[in-house]
Amino acid sequence: MNRFFRMISLLLALCCLLNAAGVSAIAEEAVDADLTCTITLGNWPADTAPDAEKALFEGYRAEMAKQYPNVTLVPDYYSYTLSNYVPMAKAGTAPSIFQPPFTDPQLLISQHLVGDVTDALSEFGVLDKFSPSYVEMLADENGRIYGLPRDGYVLGMHININLFREAGLMTEDGLPKYPTTLQELAEYGQIIREKTGKAGLVFPASETYGGWLFTNIAWNFGCVGDSALEYQDEDGRWICNFTSPECVAAMEYMRDLRWKYDILNADATTTDWAGAHSLLGTGEAAMNFAADDSVDQPTANKGLAVEDFALIPFPAGPAGRYALAGGTCYMFAPNISADQGKALMAYLKIIGKLPFLDDEIIAGMRADYAAKRDRGAPVLPAISAWSDADYNAAKQAIIEEYSNVDMRLYNDFFDSISEGTIALRSEEPVFAQQLYRELTAVIQRMITREGADVVKALTKAQESFQEYLDDEINDF
Amino acid sequence: MQTARRKRFSGARAKENFHSWLIMLPGLALMTFFVWEPLIESIRMSLYKTRNVELVRFIGLDNFISVINKDDFTQALTNTFSYTFWSLLIGFVLPILLALLIGETVRGKSFFRTAVYLPNMLPGLAVIILWSAFFSGEKSGVLNILLGHLNIPPQSYLTRYELVIPIIIVIATWKGAGATALIYMAGMAGVNPELYEAAAIDGAGVTRRIWHILLPAIRKLAGTLLILQIISVFQIMYEPMVLTKGGPDNASLSLMQLMWQYAFGGSMNYGKASAVAVIVTLILLIMTAIYSYFNRRESDWD
Repeated sequence: MNRFFRMISLLLALCCLLNAAGVSAIAEEAVDADLTCTITLGNWPADTAPDAEKALFEGYRAEMAKQYPNVTLVPDYYSYTLSNYVPMAKAGTAPSIFQPPFTDPQLLISQHLVGDVTDALSEFGVLDKFSPSYVEMLADENGRIYGLPRDGYVLGMHININLFREAGLMTEDGLPKYPTTLQELAEYGQIIREKTGKAGLVFPASETYGGWLFTNIAWNFGCVGDSALEYQDEDGRWICNFTSPECVAAMEYMRDLRWKYDILNADATTTDWAGAHSLLGTGEAAMNFAADDSVDQPTANKGLAVEDFALIPFPAGPAGRYALAGGTCYMFAPNISADQGKALMAYLKIIGKLPFLDDEIIAGMRADYAAKRDRGAPVLPAISAWSDADYNAAKQAIIEEYSNVDMRLYNDFFDSISEGTIALRSEEPVFAQQLYRELTAVIQRMITREGADVVKALTKAQESFQEYLDDEINDF
Repeated sequence: MQTARRKRFSGARAKENFHSWLIMLPGLALMTFFVWEPLIESIRMSLYKTRNVELVRFIGLDNFISVINKDDFTQALTNTFSYTFWSLLIGFVLPILLALLIGETVRGKSFFRTAVYLPNMLPGLAVIILWSAFFSGEKSGVLNILLGHLNIPPQSYLTRYELVIPIIIVIATWKGAGATALIYMAGMAGVNPELYEAAAIDGAGVTRRIWHILLPAIRKLAGTLLILQIISVFQIMYEPMVLTKGGPDNASLSLMQLMWQYAFGGSMNYGKASAVAVIVTLILLIMTAIYSYFNRRESDWD
């Protein structure tokens, strides 16, 4: 009997030892086993997503479970739009993390519809690694941070080289002779129209897209500083300024593109962002104002061969060279707790969206670039939203391994950013979407009515937007 | 004695009513929750300054005044009436004609019935995308390709102010006329065949039979469908939203689209959006009341 008890005691002791060893192994892998909360993750891949993508996210989930065993991840297929987000935020059902474009953060922050993650960012040591322009976009007036950049882009111009070749606009090196100024854009576009019968420029002038692109043209005509499209006066009131000589000149240029040079696509007023990429990719238009983050649209998605595609800097105007820097960010539900904030930062670190590199993140990046190359999308240097030099250099080295393009077709674009020959600007500071809508209406009038009065149309739009500013900010 | 009987009667009636109310309860609850409450809430919201869906302060009719004084409201209101006009011009008579033609068809009636209804079975957005390819102003637009065969150069359609609303109505009619035609066919089927026989004996041809028997028989049905069509067209939204985005320069902007823009188009001004919604409701109420008035007078004369 004694022997039996001795055996049992020995077995129990062994079990305890093994158990303790196991616990300590888990504890070693766990980064924070005490962190206990639930986070809901928007933009989780749907069941219909490619298997590789689903597997990637399942891998993130497994890694999160390993490092933070008491954090529960709830996948959510939610995809952000302003209209669907507001009711969810008010009802307390918004996912803990979601991905709005850079046009919306300031609006969401001003309306108290997003959560503050300043403390969580600080805890992860990345607060000072933000590119300053992104801090401006994602913080309130007290410097509290409400979001993180997911990816950044700079607006330039997509080129369909086939149409340039057909129009005889090629250099001796076999590169497209692309426009460096807005005046050249009009002239080259005219040559393309005459030689090929296709649109020199596709301009999506529907909804808010037209105004969005037009702000870039307006900056290049001098709508910056004292002549900015909107500014704050000494009393802090927001003033709309569409009738400055610079803005009028920019709008006259838009009108000329249609009536003097006739380089625009036929249905500009109904063309949207996707439609513009489609027209360029299918050879219906030679140039499109677009950014480095959408180079897969005309190529991989619409069949334009990578070698027939180029990305060039935004053409300069009479008052300088400016281009929009924007992108998509991560933002957080307004009701997240401090623990949830911490868990969300941990998740972003695991998926490689914080400026840290480890073996798994590098493997993920390699897989991503390999997939891009396989489906015929250009693999290009990334415009980093982080100001961490080591991180950016390491990332660039990996990208170069997978490059599938002749960089001569892209160098001017990237050099203009790194060498500072183009001034990057963020979107207009307040109610950008409404501003774009007002300007789009003016553009539509200019390109559909030959004798339209530029000053009259801009004055009307200015009055309308000023009333909006008074209503929503100045006299709220 | 009489009081006791009345009591018994009212008790039975109450019991009967109780069961009726019980049957109606789920429907009433759903109506209250999904129709009346949002309706009342939107009227309330239209009287307040809002920050997204929050009511900030009561401002009376300021939202209405601000909305009405803006050019885009005038434009949207004019456009909405224009939609209604074109819809009546293009889309009111067509289903009646289709119903008459199919009704007079001897062979293949089922085929034609199905054929005219088929567009109605297609998803609305798919129809718009299909027609946008047809009316594309590019060389690759279907209509331009067809015109190209006649040596006519490519034309723009959806960027022309004078064409954009009629085109949208043509598309809406293409999709909806078949369903309305089926309702007319059902109405025509209810006409007493003896009337036709009598007219035929009196020597009336097809045209006179249609004019003197069929059309008077479906007059009330046509009146009802007319008001339903006006109500439906007055709320037109997704067709211009997808096809033209309200352009060019608001030439196809409808009142419902304007409401959407206030609420979700970037400004999140739910107060003004509600004001537009209330205005649309009032206009439709007035139009329905006018219709009901004339309809009742007509019934009285009958």
